[in-house]
Amino acid sequence: MNLKDTTESLRDSWREFAKVKSGLFGLAILGAFLLLGIFGVYLVPFPGATEHWRDINFWQDNPQAAPPAWTNLFAARKGVSSTVLANPKAGTENQDNGVAVRTFSFDYDFGADEPPRDIIVRLTGDGPVPVIITVDRPDSLSAEIYRAQLDLSPLSPARVSLVRNSAQAIVEFVRSQDPELATNMSADLIKPFGILFSKLGKEVATAPTALKGKYRIVVTALQLSSDFKVNTPSLIVSGHVSGILGTDSSKRDIFTGIVIGIRWALIIGILTSVVSVIAGVLLGIIAAYFGGAVDWMLTRLYELIYLLPVLPFLIVVSAIFKPSIWTFITLVCLFFWTGSYKTVYSMALQIKEETFVEASKALGSGSWRIVFRHISPILLPYSFASMALSIPAIIVYEASVSLLGLGDASIVSWGQILESALSQGAVINNLWWWVIPPGLMIALMGMSFAFLGTALDKILHPKLKTR
Amino acid sequence: MYWKKVLRRVVYGIMMYIVMVLIYSTLFNSVADRTMRSQIDEQVAQEVTRYRNLSEAQLTTLIAERKAGKIRQYHLDESLVSRIFWRSVRTLGFDFGNSTTIKASTGSRSVIAIIGEALPRTIVLFTTEVVLVTGLGIAMGLYAARRPNGLFDRSNSMVTMITNGLPSWWLAMLAIMVFAYAIPIFPSGGLHVNPAPTGLAGLVDYLWHLALPLLTLVLLGIWGTAYLVRNIVLSNLQEDFVMAARARGISERKVLFGHTLRTSMPAIMTLAVLGLFSSIAGNIIVEGIFGWPGIGNLYFVAVQQNDVPILMATLSIETLFTMVGFVILDLIYGFLDPRIKLGGRS
Repeated sequence: MNLKDTTESLRDSWREFAKVKSGLFGLAILGAFLLLGIFGVYLVPFPGATEHWRDINFWQDNPQAAPPAWTNLFAARKGVSSTVLANPKAGTENQDNGVAVRTFSFDYDFGADEPPRDIIVRLTGDGPVPVIITVDRPDSLSAEIYRAQLDLSPLSPARVSLVRNSAQAIVEFVRSQDPELATNMSADLIKPFGILFSKLGKEVATAPTALKGKYRIVVTALQLSSDFKVNTPSLIVSGHVSGILGTDSSKRDIFTGIVIGIRWALIIGILTSVVSVIAGVLLGIIAAYFGGAVDWMLTRLYELIYLLPVLPFLIVVSAIFKPSIWTFITLVCLFFWTGSYKTVYSMALQIKEETFVEASKALGSGSWRIVFRHISPILLPYSFASMALSIPAIIVYEASVSLLGLGDASIVSWGQILESALSQGAVINNLWWWVIPPGLMIALMGMSFAFLGTALDKILHPKLKTR
Repeated sequence: MYWKKVLRRVVYGIMMYIVMVLIYSTLFNSVADRTMRSQIDEQVAQEVTRYRNLSEAQLTTLIAERKAGKIRQYHLDESLVSRIFWRSVRTLGFDFGNSTTIKASTGSRSVIAIIGEALPRTIVLFTTEVVLVTGLGIAMGLYAARRPNGLFDRSNSMVTMITNGLPSWWLAMLAIMVFAYAIPIFPSGGLHVNPAPTGLAGLVDYLWHLALPLLTLVLLGIWGTAYLVRNIVLSNLQEDFVMAARARGISERKVLFGHTLRTSMPAIMTLAVLGLFSSIAGNIIVEGIFGWPGIGNLYFVAVQQNDVPILMATLSIETLFTMVGFVILDLIYGFLDPRIKLGGRS
């Protein structure tokens, strides 16, 4: 078969395939999944998440169990959306005594009904640096909310949570504006940001009204000598809603988890199905072609594995061995080759008797040559359909084993996201953004492969199309 | 001779079952031996508390003697192969012994008692599910096959594709979220409210707790079954005898129910019988999520607590049931379709 024939036959198959709309639909979804599986890791809001999924420090700036940002559209009282403020306006003022005053001012447009949960400042630099943080409010009042000396290091950033460190300063700010208001205020009891982001008035401590508008947060750092250094800080506004799909109770961004989970779902599904279906096809042909003792052995093995309950067996073996994704893939292959074995076996029994096999034998071909060069190519198209059709079940098995806490802890999969959702009470607390997306993705990926497989099946077995 | 073939099939089934039990026994060998030894220690320690008037030395020899006797009785001092063999023999004789930690509600640690408690619950939920799913699925599949590519057929195929890769436990999580917490019309799990009501109120309460898991499973399961039945029936509708029947002017209804359903019966029965017999294994995750303390739940607790006697017993009982399903299928094929000859190639 030369190249021209191959492209011609491929084009023919594509024309056949293109007639089945659902197959095209499945292929389109699958294409999107493949693209996201390859490039998604670089496009997500938290690019390092693949390595740091279980690293608490990596996620510490996110709000906990926050709903998706778009839920604000339907909420009566709008919450703050979590954002990162970078690229501040920077200025340096060199004083005569060798001290450099560096200012970084961040503009923050506040339009929610609830104040931010926290504002976190991250600073890197070198040496002891006094830091002052002030907030200029839309009503042209200015409050100094933080003043301390930080020991900065170039690599690990100093992290200041303003809501935890500003209560006393905010009471002082209220006192400077209206001493009467501050008389009953205690730094231990107030909600600091509830006051900072509200109109000053009688009810500021009990029922504050949000003061919307442009805020400017100014970080001032003193470089006491030229040996010390301050790098541009970043500011994280921690809100009530976060990202496209919200966060879980370990502050992880769910959208990021969903996207990086695609890669493993595809790897597990495709690798397992390709290996197991090819094994099933080859073993089926070998059993049919050689017959006798080989046939007997393989058929007994097939019956034994067919009898083994898959999930209980997977669970027991995962519990005995250290859960690893490669152990899982190997085990599932051991089970799934049976799926195509019987059909291929019966087809190969017929093909074996065809005249071209006879002719090949007469020309002196060896048994293996006949198996690989003559019988396998005929049965291979059949195996494409069964590969695609077996993938949904494989993905569900992985998710099931993960849901029971027996998944590989070095990867991120949808099943593991659902496992943490279930074990941390997402169902009871109605954290739907944590439960629905991973399951929906499992279903969607299963659906795309099912569409694809059924379309291939229709082309290869046109009998079922109509009557 | 039919009965000879039956006998051959049954013997073959039993042999397969024995091999399976041997595999399980090998898999659990080291843990099971350890469990057995510690159970013997415990038992002997309890026994010797009766002999108070013995001296310290006499007591030590007595304990050692008893232990050695028990170890010999259970063949624990023998080679690996013989230990695996004797455990398989005990399992085949339904002598599952005592569990390591799990207890029945009566406090008994007998594995038989524990499984006897969980099995009926699983049967109530999952066997009912299989019966409903198969019945409704056959009806829907036949209806879809009457007009292939019609509206019902296409929407049915569509839903099958969508539900194909949908984990049942995920749907269970959603069902609980919606119907137990957001709109609380069903309980979130368990068998009954506490304390359990008796009499008619108890039955109503039981059904109320059964409703959500059953509905979830049935609503997810029927599509696939309907699609399979539709495919089986459709492929038979293309046979020559159907065309001949149509040519004779036999009504479409009779062709479908009389001719096609009869020839489709072996394949449909395979679905039904295998589903029925494997349903006793329950569903490990769905039972966990609905707090339904059946076999699946028991199995998972046993995995977590490393309770090997329970694992061994549930696995072998599940396999036995599946095996029985296969044997029964092979036996009824002959009745359903006279063309199929049992086992032999004659």
